[in-house]
Amino acid sequence: MKKCQYTDMIDDYLLNKLEGASKEQFEEHYFNCSSCFQTMEERDALVSTIRARGAWIFKKEPAAGRRDWVPAWKRALASFTPRQWATVGLAAAVVLFAVFGILPRFQGQTPQFVLSDNEIVRGESLTLISPVIDVGSVPGYFEWRQLGEDVEYKIFVYNSSLLWTEATRDTRIAVPDNVKQQMVAGQKYSWQVKAFSPKGTLIAVSSRVQFQVSQGK
Amino acid sequence: MEQASAQVDLDEIVVKYRPVVSFKVKKSLGVQTPDWEDVVNEIITQVIEKVTKGEFRGESSIGTYIYTITSRRIVDHIRQKTKVLRGIPEPKPLPDPCESAESRERARVLAEAIQQLKPKFKEVLNLYFYQELSRDEVAERLGISPRRVSERINYAQKLLRKMIKP
Repeated sequence: MKKCQYTDMIDDYLLNKLEGASKEQFEEHYFNCSSCFQTMEERDALVSTIRARGAWIFKKEPAAGRRDWVPAWKRALASFTPRQWATVGLAAAVVLFAVFGILPRFQGQTPQFVLSDNEIVRGESLTLISPVIDVGSVPGYFEWRQLGEDVEYKIFVYNSSLLWTEATRDTRIAVPDNVKQQMVAGQKYSWQVKAFSPKGTLIAVSSRVQFQVSQGK
Repeated sequence: MEQASAQVDLDEIVVKYRPVVSFKVKKSLGVQTPDWEDVVNEIITQVIEKVTKGEFRGESSIGTYIYTITSRRIVDHIRQKTKVLRGIPEPKPLPDPCESAESRERARVLAEAIQQLKPKFKEVLNLYFYQELSRDEVAERLGISPRRVSERINYAQKLLRKMIKP
């Protein structure tokens, strides 16, 4: 059935949005078109009811607004079915079992730490004995205080760069002749000792002491 | 002329056009106007008299003829009331208690049916008929096309028709 061209004017007429010639044209039309009049009567009942009772009819609309304030997750939870709740419970149980049941089994070994050359065990100290001040001649020995049993010491002698290094388990070490020959009067030198455990772990580093071989002696 | 008037069924004028005339009168004068029914009766009587006297020549449709008479009578009534009742307080409307109760019940049923519609239909009815936004404004508010607004209103009407069907 073909739609009457005036049907679209019904709402505008009922809402008093038609004026002048358009209004008169539409009114004349519905006096002649029983279909439009019937549609308009029905629509008028709807419009009149909404206008008269709109406050009551749409009173729940603000409730829909309040609903927006409810967090989305609460709404989602409220809409969960028993099956979904069972799935959530099962997933939570699996996670808890993994965290408290399985992961602790992989934590049996204590962590291993390896000290680098510049790291020491806090609390140990290595004291240098001689030479710690200027000396009259090229020193024949370098001596330091004992740190413990089975400790290996490594001595480092520097001028502007590393001049000599050697390892020993004693607390003193003789300077080789070739090194002595490189040490000249008036020149400043420094030395340092590092102590290592039997496993090769650095356990102490001495301070770096500077000395000078006096001239003319 | 006599031939033209003879073709009009007087019963049809009463049965078919009385509701149409009533609608137009109520719309023009306001449903609260106490004597709108008197105006309708006068119009129907006038139409019957004119048709009977052969004044309806069939130059237009009977619907257009009745519409013209109705419009003139309404204008006359408004002029008359304005002249006579100027300065005199308007009497309180005296609605027919039976019709009022019946229409109230119909409105209640319809209102409850509207409440049961889905939110998308209620929203469009609210914005368009209650808040009286334009079709374009409603469309913009709801993020749909104006044509879609009309479709939703018509579909809501269709649903309501089914819901309140006795």
